[in-house]
Amino acid sequence: MNREASAPFAVALENVAVRFATAAGGVHGVLRDISLVVPEGVFLAIVGPSGCGKSTLLNVAAGLLQPPEGSVRIFGEPLTGTNRYAAYLFQQDALLPWRTVLGNVMLGLSLRGIPRREAVAEARQWIERVGLGGFEDRFPHQLSGGMRKRTAVAQSWIVDPRILLMDEPFSALDVQTRQNMENELLDLWQGSRKTVLFITHDLEEAIALADEVVVITAGPNATVKGRYAVGLARPRDVAEIRLDPEFNALYRQIWDDLRVEVKRSRNDVPS
Amino acid sequence: MRVSAHAGKDPAPAATGTARGGGIARTQGAHRAGRAVVVSLQIGVFVLFVGIWQALAAAGVLDPFFFSRPSAIALKLWGWMASGYIWPHLGVTLLEALLAFLIGTVCGVIAGFALARVALLAAVFDPYIRTFNALPRVILAPIFILWFGLGIASKVALGVTLVFFIVFFNTFQGIREVDPVIRNNVKMLQANDWQMVRHVYLPSAMAWIFSSLHTSIGFALVGAVVGEYIGSARGIGYVVAEAEGVFDTAGVFAGLILTSVVVLLIDLGIDRLERYLLRWRPGVE
Repeated sequence: MNREASAPFAVALENVAVRFATAAGGVHGVLRDISLVVPEGVFLAIVGPSGCGKSTLLNVAAGLLQPPEGSVRIFGEPLTGTNRYAAYLFQQDALLPWRTVLGNVMLGLSLRGIPRREAVAEARQWIERVGLGGFEDRFPHQLSGGMRKRTAVAQSWIVDPRILLMDEPFSALDVQTRQNMENELLDLWQGSRKTVLFITHDLEEAIALADEVVVITAGPNATVKGRYAVGLARPRDVAEIRLDPEFNALYRQIWDDLRVEVKRSRNDVPS
Repeated sequence: MRVSAHAGKDPAPAATGTARGGGIARTQGAHRAGRAVVVSLQIGVFVLFVGIWQALAAAGVLDPFFFSRPSAIALKLWGWMASGYIWPHLGVTLLEALLAFLIGTVCGVIAGFALARVALLAAVFDPYIRTFNALPRVILAPIFILWFGLGIASKVALGVTLVFFIVFFNTFQGIREVDPVIRNNVKMLQANDWQMVRHVYLPSAMAWIFSSLHTSIGFALVGAVVGEYIGSARGIGYVVAEAEGVFDTAGVFAGLILTSVVVLLIDLGIDRLERYLLRWRPGVE
């Protein structure tokens, strides 16, 4: 057996289920029977209809939510508390509004007890890298949505996490900014051996970015429906790759799977 | 817990400040012109009011014994300041207000923190806090004078009971209203419990506390003056009570006006402080 095969998975979920008690006294099942393994270094996209519990799944991997059923292992260790290997890029604005760009980016280092001077120097490099040089002293409210996202990327990457959890991070951005950010994300990720779990409801985005795409069924009690390898060559340009015939073939194949779920989720929504 | 922050302004909705720097020139010009008009009208109201008062008093419509007259009040104030009589009294009042403000704020922050973080504490103390907050604080003054004497301690205690609740409610709310996304984000950056307090809960509560500074400092001064009025040998409240005792209406008004001017000056100072401390908030710049 080679070393690669025996290495523990970066993230391994086994039979995970998540339920919430409802106000009416009933139980609402969000996820059931989720088994998912992610080898180290893989960019995995998770797609599913809106409201199917994708974010809940990510919160389980982050350790922000302890599932009542099933096990979560990170690099072979059972997960207790928050996942210290992982950084989380949220869908919503998660910057501290009372800290400047510099203060936000260096926060992770300060929390780890790294001396201020070192933390500032490294934060400046990251701010430069995400293209925000000159904006160090701005407060989040003085930035555009895209700039806030860049700050958030720098904030979560500066601690050099081995796993990146991303919950529809670019969904609030306009198409142009979004494609730029996606390309920059791929540039940053390329060759980093970081494991990515990228949640999205946009199948195009999933295929353009990921090595593998996992389809989740519509809620309630969502589970894994299918898993597809994306063999598209890297490095990629997210705008151009959409014109690739292989991209379209993949899209059609996965969409057949996803379409049913999207339809189901629409029917469930009372209008 | 059903405790609600009725004191202090809600810091969450932004965009209340006037757009400075961002607006176009014409808007700014219009804004400045508007301001000049407002200030001259404000001065006009003052002159008119004082003029009518003086005229009515001179004509004998208003009995100067009860209503005094602006010229007499101005003379009184001038006399107090020129002789140096008023300064030690003013100093004492300000000292009491400052101490009440500091002690009340520290206690309010600690209590607000504890109750916001520990649900059991909040549930247990909820009825007591509401009862105390509903109590008119003036009726505590005689008790405080019995307990702490006629010196500054009883006035500080009275001010503390006023300031405490404002700060308490704002801290409580500030901590409860922390955005869960921000909380999770900092948690994922591996903050421990103390770091969560220092980097998330405290700054969030501070925003609420700063925005209630006007109210809490004003109340600290109210506590001091009312306490002095009820029983003391120094301070602005004492000066007013003394004047009242000898039917010196001009003295009563002079004390009132002095207090108002002091509050106004402090308020202007807080405006600036607030603008600086809350500069990270949209619309505050």
